[in-house]
Amino acid sequence: MTSIIAIHSFRGGTGKSNLSGNLATCLGLAGKRVGIFDTDLASPGVHVLFGFAPEPSAKYLNDYLQEGAPIRDCAHDVTPQQVRHASGRIFLLPGSMESDRIAKLLREGYEVEKLNDAMFALADELKLDVVLVDTHPGINEETLLSTAIADSLLMVMRPDTQDYLGTAVAVEVAERLDAADIRLVVNKLPAHFDPQSVRDRVASSYGVPLGALLPLSEDLLTLASSGLAVLEFPSHPWSEGVRSLADALVAELVD
Amino acid sequence: MALLVRLEPMGLRKLLKNGLRRGMTDEQLQAHFMDFWQLVPEATESACLLNALEERGWLTRVAESGLWKTHLGSSTTL
Repeated sequence: MTSIIAIHSFRGGTGKSNLSGNLATCLGLAGKRVGIFDTDLASPGVHVLFGFAPEPSAKYLNDYLQEGAPIRDCAHDVTPQQVRHASGRIFLLPGSMESDRIAKLLREGYEVEKLNDAMFALADELKLDVVLVDTHPGINEETLLSTAIADSLLMVMRPDTQDYLGTAVAVEVAERLDAADIRLVVNKLPAHFDPQSVRDRVASSYGVPLGALLPLSEDLLTLASSGLAVLEFPSHPWSEGVRSLADALVAELVD
Repeated sequence: MALLVRLEPMGLRKLLKNGLRRGMTDEQLQAHFMDFWQLVPEATESACLLNALEERGWLTRVAESGLWKTHLGSSTTL
């Protein structure tokens, strides 16, 4: 059975795409077959982490949603060598980076229920253990769908007052949709913040479990999305936090 | 999907949510009617509710798979 994990944030800049790419890699290192849907179609970014350099004729998620291309044609194998050695596979469904394609999407929209069907069709075709959905920030039709169908919803936020308020709204909506398993991921925690007070504030604000508390990382800033931290800096606390989150998801949802 | 967030009562919201993903079998649909409204499939109220949902196109039975699928017809502009 395939597990759907949606990675969402109310605001942009939380490190959601970075988490998606690295979480997929951890799951792949655990021998899982993973599909990543980059549904942040207005500002796609996961492909950068995997160094995905498409052929001119490559198909994107946009082609499935707006042009009727088969979903399998939009899935690209981006498995890093280390993941391949661990018998895992990662397939990416990227969003197009071409400005006219993004503009077309903004102008015409798309039928969000096609995403639902695509995830399950591709899961069957590629025998995926996990589908990760890297959503668009905020609340819109696509994020509501992802929230409703996910087996687990990871809500990513920074320890920032605007994020606390916005995340409360997103959690409220998710609860109204009876989201199956909501976990908060606090990312970019500055070194001078007391982790325990952040845990306490999260616990009292939302009443949902904290999936991970990930430090603000100079190394990650230096990496600048040009690679996957869990492979480049496997012993870094940020990478260890993502790996623990992946292990928990595998134990509780995937296996 | 915004419609799904607004819908009341909760049982209706959950019914349509269950019709997402791969859809629902007849047995799952009937179990939902029983769990939330204590209605058996033969009850007039069951037929009325199902008809109302089908008329709106919100819940339809896919002939090929035999599954009940939700269609809220929502498109998104980002």
